[in-house]
Amino acid sequence: MKNKTTQITTIYILIASILAVFLYKITSLYFKQEDQLIFNLFKDFILILLTGFAFRYILSKNERRNKTIFERLENTNNEIKESNQKYDIVSKATSDTIWDWKIQEDKMIWSKGIKAVFGYEEDQVGDSSSWWFGNIHPEDSIKMSIKLYSFIEQKTEKWQDEYRFKCADNTYKYVLDRGFLLKDENGKAVRMIGALQDVTKQKEEELRLKLLETVILQTKESIVITEATFNKKLLPKIIYTNPAFTQMTGYQANEIINNSLDILKGPNTELNVIKKIIQIIQNKEEGLLEIRCYKKDKTEFWLRFTMIPIYNSENELSHWVSIQRDVTEEKNQEKEKEQLIKELTQNNKDLKQFSYITSHNLRAPMSNLTGLLNLIEDIEIDDPELNEIINGFSKSTHLLNETIEDLTKVMIIKDNTSIEKEDISLKEVFENVFSQLSNQIEIIKPYLKLDIENVSVLNSNKAYMESILLNLLTNSLKYRSTDRTLKITIIANQNGNTVELIFKDNGIGIDLKRNKDKIFGLYQRFHDYPDSKGLGLYLVKSQVEAMKGTINIESQVNKGTTFTLTFKSK
Amino acid sequence: MLDLILCVDDDPITLMLCKKVISKASFSNTIITAKNGEEALEYFDSIINKGATKELPQLIFLDLNMPVMDGWEFLDNFNTDKYSEVNSTKIVVLSSTIDPEDHEKSKKYPMVIDFLSKPITSNMLTYLESKLQL
Repeated sequence: MKNKTTQITTIYILIASILAVFLYKITSLYFKQEDQLIFNLFKDFILILLTGFAFRYILSKNERRNKTIFERLENTNNEIKESNQKYDIVSKATSDTIWDWKIQEDKMIWSKGIKAVFGYEEDQVGDSSSWWFGNIHPEDSIKMSIKLYSFIEQKTEKWQDEYRFKCADNTYKYVLDRGFLLKDENGKAVRMIGALQDVTKQKEEELRLKLLETVILQTKESIVITEATFNKKLLPKIIYTNPAFTQMTGYQANEIINNSLDILKGPNTELNVIKKIIQIIQNKEEGLLEIRCYKKDKTEFWLRFTMIPIYNSENELSHWVSIQRDVTEEKNQEKEKEQLIKELTQNNKDLKQFSYITSHNLRAPMSNLTGLLNLIEDIEIDDPELNEIINGFSKSTHLLNETIEDLTKVMIIKDNTSIEKEDISLKEVFENVFSQLSNQIEIIKPYLKLDIENVSVLNSNKAYMESILLNLLTNSLKYRSTDRTLKITIIANQNGNTVELIFKDNGIGIDLKRNKDKIFGLYQRFHDYPDSKGLGLYLVKSQVEAMKGTINIESQVNKGTTFTLTFKSK
Repeated sequence: MLDLILCVDDDPITLMLCKKVISKASFSNTIITAKNGEEALEYFDSIINKGATKELPQLIFLDLNMPVMDGWEFLDNFNTDKYSEVNSTKIVVLSSTIDPEDHEKSKKYPMVIDFLSKPITSNMLTYLESKLQL
């Protein structure tokens, strides 16, 4: 164009110059001096006119051409705009992130998805491929590069890959990247355009399903999935069983799938449970049942199973899932246990009855003996030998009576686990106990220290409490040291909602190293005393425990014994 | 002092003790005895037949464990309409039982005023005297 313009201009200058020289010659040869002025004017006028027409022709031609070019450009521009819009719409609709990589120049641009999906601001997005590669998870990047470059070198036909791509917040998203190549006239790859699809949700779902599948495959519970459809003659058809089911029944999945669950039925299968199953299926509800079934080798076993209805997205029942377990052993144990409990209960009942009868039969003649002795007491006997005999007879009878009474008490405590409690005054209880032992206290004259003001009222059983304290006090009096004055200290403390009773003496003590385990046992005697029955501490412990309390002992031989009793105050 | 007491027990020693302790404590003028529930009921039958309500005991000491007819069976019979004329007589159960259920069971009979453990003693009689407001 430029050259053409110079050409036209040069031709114009040449023609105009030649014409000017030629007309000057004509003027000077053919026109007179006075006519030359008019001729020059006419000549110039003609020249201007010719030049004007020539200009007009050239300019109008140019204008037309420019207009055509402009229109063409405008069209192209519109097309590009439209194409860009489409591209935006497509990338929005697919939620894919589009990238465009000029391979030789290593220039890369990303669509808006890089912000929407991955959170990158415009100024954070790099313009070369290294930014892309840099954001690929280290564990995925090598594998991805190998595949990508073998595609660019056109060793492979298609390229798509899955990898983890880093977001602006440093978390990773699983992406599916698909691309195609643009080649130059020599077939060399010059440009690559790709679409990055966020598949994190699908991937997570896939991993979750894989995990669930592992659970189903690995679990010890048998899992059976059946169809939802069912007719009244046959239970639903099996469509899946896990390995545990094969383990349990002996049926391989392929030999049982498409069969009805009826295959597990046998002669002892409970018909009422089958009816229940049908009812559950009809009502489309969940169920937990037990039934006798048969393995492939016809061995009978107890099956405990749940039935869970499964609904599809249209809320229609699509399947039943059943989780099953062989509970034969459990059932057998249960049966044995039931039998054992039955026997034990009967034994216990018999023993209780026996002990009441024995007790009654012992107490009846005992009461007669006591009654008779009471009568003898009022008769004066002169014979000293007879007197001595009766005295011994009386002592033995009283000891025997006490033993029987103590044993009876223990029996009643053991039989009645719940006892009545009331608010009792500790002071009153102690007064009662002291008055019962007044004779002995009078003779022994112990130093008694009572510090029970901290606890005035105790929620307890009065008879038990008196019996406990009477036993402990009797023990202190009985097992006192002859070398020193007996000293008994009794302290009551309230600690939050527990009451602590400390009962301390300076008696002969008990060798706890030797007797630790049997201290509160039945018929345990730690001292060779004639009237020791080996019942007292057993009774005390039984009564303390019947009131949900505890008892502890500390003792040192020839120094003394301390009992600590604790009770809940309410 | 009561006029007439009936002691029902199969054990002759118990009956002997009852007699001695009661008379010693001057608790009652007359003491009659029965070997079991059946004998006791027969005694009440004869009173009803004769219409001799004067011979009605004011108190019965009743054992529970007896052959032929035990204390419970006696109470069941005595508590029926047949003996409505005479069953205002107060009864003290005197037994060697330790079964707490027996104690509870005895409370169901309106004529049973107490449940005492053998042997009978003078203290027991003093206690009963005050209870009966003699």
